[in-house]
Amino acid sequence: MGKSKEFVKHSLFTFGVLLAALAICLVLEYVVKAHSLISDVFILGVFIIALNTPGYYWSVVASFASVMIVNFVFTYPYYAFDFINPENLTSAIIMLVVSIMTGTLTRRLRETERTKAEIERVRMRADLLRAASHDLRTPLTTIYGSSSTIIESYDSLDDSQKLKLLSEIRQDSEWLIRMVENLLSVTRIDGDNVQISKVSTVLDELLDTSLMLFKKRYPNQPVNVSVPDEFITIPMDPMLIQQVIMNILENAVLHAKGMTELNLKVSLNGNQALFEISDNGCGIPADKLPKIFSGYVDTSTSERPTDGKRNNMNIGLSVCSAIIRAHGGNIWARNRVGGGASFFFTLETEENGDTL
Amino acid sequence: MSNNKYKILLVEDEANIRSFVEATLETNGYQVVLTGSCTGGLTMFSSHAPDLVILDLGLPDRDGLEFIKIVRQVSSAPILVLSARTTEEDKVSALDLGANDYITKPFGTAELLARVRVALRNRRFDTDEDRAPRNVFILDDLKIDYPKRLVTVGEKEIGLTKTEYNILAFLSEHAGKVLTYSAIIKAVWRFSDSGSVKKLQVNMANIRKKLGVRPGENRYILNELGVGYRMLDE
Repeated sequence: MGKSKEFVKHSLFTFGVLLAALAICLVLEYVVKAHSLISDVFILGVFIIALNTPGYYWSVVASFASVMIVNFVFTYPYYAFDFINPENLTSAIIMLVVSIMTGTLTRRLRETERTKAEIERVRMRADLLRAASHDLRTPLTTIYGSSSTIIESYDSLDDSQKLKLLSEIRQDSEWLIRMVENLLSVTRIDGDNVQISKVSTVLDELLDTSLMLFKKRYPNQPVNVSVPDEFITIPMDPMLIQQVIMNILENAVLHAKGMTELNLKVSLNGNQALFEISDNGCGIPADKLPKIFSGYVDTSTSERPTDGKRNNMNIGLSVCSAIIRAHGGNIWARNRVGGGASFFFTLETEENGDTL
Repeated sequence: MSNNKYKILLVEDEANIRSFVEATLETNGYQVVLTGSCTGGLTMFSSHAPDLVILDLGLPDRDGLEFIKIVRQVSSAPILVLSARTTEEDKVSALDLGANDYITKPFGTAELLARVRVALRNRRFDTDEDRAPRNVFILDDLKIDYPKRLVTVGEKEIGLTKTEYNILAFLSEHAGKVLTYSAIIKAVWRFSDSGSVKKLQVNMANIRKKLGVRPGENRYILNELGVGYRMLDE
């Protein structure tokens, strides 16, 4: 939105609120005859304007305007300005001070909110880095260790031993690749403005690419797909959303013990696309469920995977959460009634303002 | 030295990448020439006349895109570009400038070899003297009869609109090669405007539906998100 459009939007809003306050006060004055509420209504108006406009400008302008209106319309002499009368002048000054302070206090409150969000982001980034270095160390240990073993004991190892070590190196490299992809995704959304660049993406094509990538890594895990028939495009960063789908699917493969079916369903609800990935495995432990997207690495209970599989749940899901939130969507998980878990996330199918 | 082998020029500045790519290519019957810079690449291209070039887009001295532009002025030898995930736009520019395909780093050797094979195979049909007019294109149970403009899947005839047929035929003529949105748009519609990509996507969705392709099945046509489409090659 251009600067001038913003200006017009805010001035219309301010004007509208003041007009509404005036209308309410006229009713109060002439119909209800509640004269004492007049100033309060306008101060309330200034408060509302301060909440919904940027900076101090609008609320200050509204404060002055309110004082003028109150003096002109609702104070004797009616329909005339009179600031000479000491009583009028005093009440006008007090009202001005109160409304300006209301305005600035509200602005300060909003800024505190923004700082809190900033602190939250910084903390998320720190958590992510911690989880990343924790998770990166393991595959690196294998790669370094196995390759060193092969080099140092080259002659004493037989072919099958060497082959085994080498394939473990490859396996852990693949793991590192996935990890780095997750981290790269985070850097794309972790700028100061968390502005991702959205491109109109065909839903079918997104799913096709994601599923084929998934099949390459887990060829023995079929996925049941259900999509609406119509042609759907969604504004998104396709690489990031692909990452989300991959991470959730992979999470099911790695952690849903006893799973026999894995489903991916997309449905349209007005302007919103709802993605649902569900399995019929062992479900998510109740104590993990609330923190599942937070990337919290609980080193105190030394979470060692009991089945030798990678414990990458922390980064993968918290990256999903960051990506979906950066897209303005929601992401949540719950256990299914009959057993197993479901992961949901939403994306808007229409961009506000500019269409792409 | 008898030389029935294809000669591949590898332009890549990372020594370790050169090392394993050379090893893989040589053990698979290709002859390999190496260089670490764009300028070196241009020199070697003119002195060795390779059958195929593997080009890294992130070269230190000059832009890999420059290489493509210069080489394309004199040769239609297939060029495969190696791109990092962060260079999405470069990938599309490279293809539009005349590169034949791209491989994203990190890549596996199987993928590399497959792309090399396909690029060399398609090359035979790119030079006009070698081009035997093909009447029929067959991929699994998909058959395209060009003279009759008839498309069948198994026994069933598929009813495509004129535009849909043109798109499908164009993709099949370059099977195995990725075609950018703009390349397809130019070939099928001649002109392009801001709604062209969407028009192409809608047509592709209809084609997929008529061919009975569901997401994830990897049949007939691959879509390269953000780049274009590629018809599978046998």
